[in-house]
Amino acid sequence: MIVLQLVVNGVLLGGTYILLAQGLNLVFGVMGIVNLAHGSIITFVGVFTYWFVTQTNLSPLLLMPIVFVLALGLGGALQRLLLEPLAKLGNRRELLSLMVTFGLSYVIVETAINCFGSQYVSLPNLQATWTVAGLAINEALVVAGVLGAVISGCLHVWLHYTASGKALLATSQNSTGAVTCGIDVRRMRGISFAIGSALAAIAGVLLILILPLSAPTADTLTILAFVIVALGGLGDYKGAVLAGLLLGLVQSGVGYYLGGDVEVVVPYLLLIAFMVLRPQGLGQAAR
Amino acid sequence: MNLDARQVGQWIERRLAAPAAAASVSGPRPLTIGILAALIACAGGAPLVSSAYILQLATDLLTFAALAYSWNVISGCTGYLSFGQVSFFGIGAYATSILVMHTAVPWYVDAVIGAVIGGVSAALLGTIMLRLRGIMFALGMLGLARILMVVASNWNFIGGAAGLTLPAQLTPIAVYVAMWVAALVAFGLNYFLLRSQWGLSVIGVRDEEVAAAAVGVPTSWVKTVAFILSALAPAAVGGLVAWNRSFLDPPSAFDPTLDLQVIVFALFGGIGTVWGPALGTLILVIVGEQFWAYLPELQLALYGVLVIAVVLAFPGGIVGVANRFGWLRRRPVAAPAVFPRVSRPSQPAPPGDDTVIEVRDLTVRFGGLVALNGVSLAVRRGEMVSIIGANGAGKTTLFNAVTGFVKPSEGGVYFQGKLVSDIPSHRRAHQGIARTFQIPRLMESLTVWENTLLAARHGKRRHAAVEQAAWALHMVKLDSLWLEPPGRLSPGQQRRLEMARALALDPTVILLDEVMAGMTRDEQDEIRAVLRHFRDLGVAAVAGVEHIISAIADISDRMIVLDRGRKIAEGKPEAVLRDPAVIESYLGKVS
Repeated sequence: MIVLQLVVNGVLLGGTYILLAQGLNLVFGVMGIVNLAHGSIITFVGVFTYWFVTQTNLSPLLLMPIVFVLALGLGGALQRLLLEPLAKLGNRRELLSLMVTFGLSYVIVETAINCFGSQYVSLPNLQATWTVAGLAINEALVVAGVLGAVISGCLHVWLHYTASGKALLATSQNSTGAVTCGIDVRRMRGISFAIGSALAAIAGVLLILILPLSAPTADTLTILAFVIVALGGLGDYKGAVLAGLLLGLVQSGVGYYLGGDVEVVVPYLLLIAFMVLRPQGLGQAAR
Repeated sequence: MNLDARQVGQWIERRLAAPAAAASVSGPRPLTIGILAALIACAGGAPLVSSAYILQLATDLLTFAALAYSWNVISGCTGYLSFGQVSFFGIGAYATSILVMHTAVPWYVDAVIGAVIGGVSAALLGTIMLRLRGIMFALGMLGLARILMVVASNWNFIGGAAGLTLPAQLTPIAVYVAMWVAALVAFGLNYFLLRSQWGLSVIGVRDEEVAAAAVGVPTSWVKTVAFILSALAPAAVGGLVAWNRSFLDPPSAFDPTLDLQVIVFALFGGIGTVWGPALGTLILVIVGEQFWAYLPELQLALYGVLVIAVVLAFPGGIVGVANRFGWLRRRPVAAPAVFPRVSRPSQPAPPGDDTVIEVRDLTVRFGGLVALNGVSLAVRRGEMVSIIGANGAGKTTLFNAVTGFVKPSEGGVYFQGKLVSDIPSHRRAHQGIARTFQIPRLMESLTVWENTLLAARHGKRRHAAVEQAAWALHMVKLDSLWLEPPGRLSPGQQRRLEMARALALDPTVILLDEVMAGMTRDEQDEIRAVLRHFRDLGVAAVAGVEHIISAIADISDRMIVLDRGRKIAEGKPEAVLRDPAVIESYLGKVS
C-alpha cells in the first residue's frame, strides 16, 4: 500500500516537474542554449502571484492568462535584445549565452527580492486531500500533474499539426535546413524564447499553489528543470515527460525511505550520474 | 589641443592595423618585470602602514583576484565553464578549519594542507566531472556545490548545519600576506598556462579537443591537471577566509554568489587572458566599494546587469578592448623574433619497405549501420596510398578507427606489427600515426606557429621542438604566415597547416582525410608538391579522396576503393580506375 501511495505521489510530482521543464526544453531545442534564468522567471511570477492575490483577493487562476501574455512579450523582447546579438558568434555562443542568462537570473531574482522579499510564501488555495480507494491524493498535485500533461499535449499538437509548430520543430532539428526552406529562424528563436518564458510564468503561478517558494530558490528550480531536460535528452520534449515522471518517482521513494535531506540532492546526483552514463538521454533509449 | 576627430580616427586605424608580428618578442622584457615588481612592492607595502580599512579592502581585492585567476584556469584557459568553483573554496575552508581545531601546526602549514586537500579532491572529482562537456559541466559543477552543501549540513563532525566556531588567532596582516601569496600563485598558474609550451596543450583542448588528441595531447590528463590547478588557490583562500571570520557554516562555505562575483570580475577584465582577472578585480572591487555603500541591496542585480552588458558590448573584456589598440596582446609562445632558420636536414628515409600500418578484418558498426565491413589493408613505409570512395563509403570511419577516435567492433589495427586498437589516440600520435581532418580542425586562438609547435612538443626539449615546428612549417611553405591566426588562412593553406601539424609529430604514417576537397587548382598543386616530399622522408601517406581523383591518381603508388563499407578494388591507379566494379560504384550500373 505504501508503495502504491509512493507511486501515485511520484507520478503527480512528476507532472509538476514536466510543467517546470517544458519551457526550458523548448528554448534549448530551438536555440541550443540553456536559459539559466528559467527558474528565476518561475520564482518571480510565483512570489508576484502571492503578492497580487494577498493584495487583491482575486483568484490566482485569473492571473494566469495575464502573466502568460506579459511573459510572452517580455521573453520575446529579452531574446531580441540580449540573445539574438550572440547568434552570429559561432562556437563562443554557447558560453556567452550561458553568461548572459546567468546574469539575467541574478537581475530577476534580486528584483523579486527587492520588491517582494526573500521569505518563503505559499497560497493555500489547493490544499485539499482526497481519499480514493485508500490512497491519499493531494489536490494541488493533481492540478499540477494534469496541467503538466495538458501542456505537454498542447506542445505535441502544436509542434506536429500546425504550420508554425512544424517550422519551429524544423528549426530545432536543423537550423540551416530550416533557412533553406524559407523559415525565418530568427523569428523562430524569438518565438521559442517567448513561449519558453510564458510556460515558465504559468509554472510559477501553479507552483505557488503547490509548494512554498521564495525568490532565492530560483537556481534550484533551474537545475531541477535542467535535470529533467538532460535526462530526457536535450530538446526532446517527449523524453522530458518520461524524465519528469522518473524523477518524481525516484524522489518520492527516496524521500520516504532515506529522508528529506537526501531527497533534496537526488536531482543533482541523478544529473551527474546520468550525464556520465547516458549522455544521449532517456528519450533515445525509449525509441 | 587641436586634435580633430579625423586625426584621432587615423590614429586608431594605425593602432588597429598594427601588425601582429610586432608582438613576436619571446618572454617579457626585464624592464617590464622590474617596473611591475616595484609597483607590486609599493602596492603591497602601502596597506601595511595605512588604516585598517585599507588593509581590509586590499585583502578583499587579493582574495577575489586569487579566486578569479583560479576560475580563469579552468574556465578561461581550458574552456570548461564552471559555475561551482566555490566547491573547492568550501572544501578548503572545512579542511583547514578541522585542522585548526584538532591540531596545533602553524597556520601557514594548515593553509598549504588545505590547498593540497583541495587539489586532491579536484583530482578525484575530476574523474567524474571532466567527462561532462559544455553546459553539462557548467551545471554539473553548480550541482556539485549544492551536493557538498547538503553533505556538510548533515555531517555532525564538521558542525552540521549549525556551523563551526574557530579560535581566532590570525592577525589581519597575516591574512593579508597569505592572500598575496595565494593571488600570486593563482596568477603564476595562469601565466604558466597561457605563456608556456605545456600551456599550449590546455589551449588546444579548449579550442579543438579532438584535434588536440590527434596531435598527441593527452587530453584527459591535461584537463585533470588544469582542474587540480584551479582548485589549489580557492581551497587555501577558503581556509583563510573562514579563519579570518572565525566562523564557518555550509551556506557561507558553498555560497553560489561567490561564483557570480568571481565570474563577473574575470569576465569584465577578459576571460582567458593573463591580465584580465587582475584588472577586472581591481576596478570592480574598488569602484564597487564606493558604490555598494549607497545601494547595498542592489549589488547582485547590478552585477547581473554588468555581466550582460559586458558580454554584449565587449565580450573580450578590458583586455579585449585594449587588444584593439595593440596593448596587452598575447605573445605567441616560444616564437623567436624572426622565423627560425631551418637547419634540420631532410632525414634520409629509413631503409626497407616494411609494413607500417596494417588493418585486419576491420568492422565498425554504429547501431544497425555497418560503416566498415571486414576491411583489410596494409601500407608500407614511404608508400603513397589513396583511398577513394563516394560519400558514406567509410573513409573517415577507417581513419577514425586507425587513429583511435572510433572503436572497432571487430578486427584490429596494427602499427609496425603491434596491435594498437586499444591504446588512446594521443599515444598513437606519439608512436607515429598522424592525421588531418575532413574539415580542418585548427586551434583558432593560437597562431599558425603555435598550432605546429603544439604537435612538435612531444618528447622534445624546447629548442628541439622549435626547430621541428619551423621545419614542418617550412615543408608546407607557410613560413611567411607563421604569426597569423588560422582563421586568416585560405582553405588550401589551412589544409597545409594541418599537414605541417602532422609532420611536426615526426610520423611514420599520415592519414589525410579529404586531402583536396574544396581547393583551387593552384592549391591542389601545392598539396601535391608536399605529398611528393613524403616519400623522401620515409613517411607513408594514406589519402582519402572523394572527387578529385585525377589530382591524386598520378602520385599514388596504390589505390584502394571503398564502397558502402567494403573494399571493392585495390591495385595500381590505372588498373583500379578501369575496373568495372569501381566505375559502377561511382556512376551506377550501366545497362
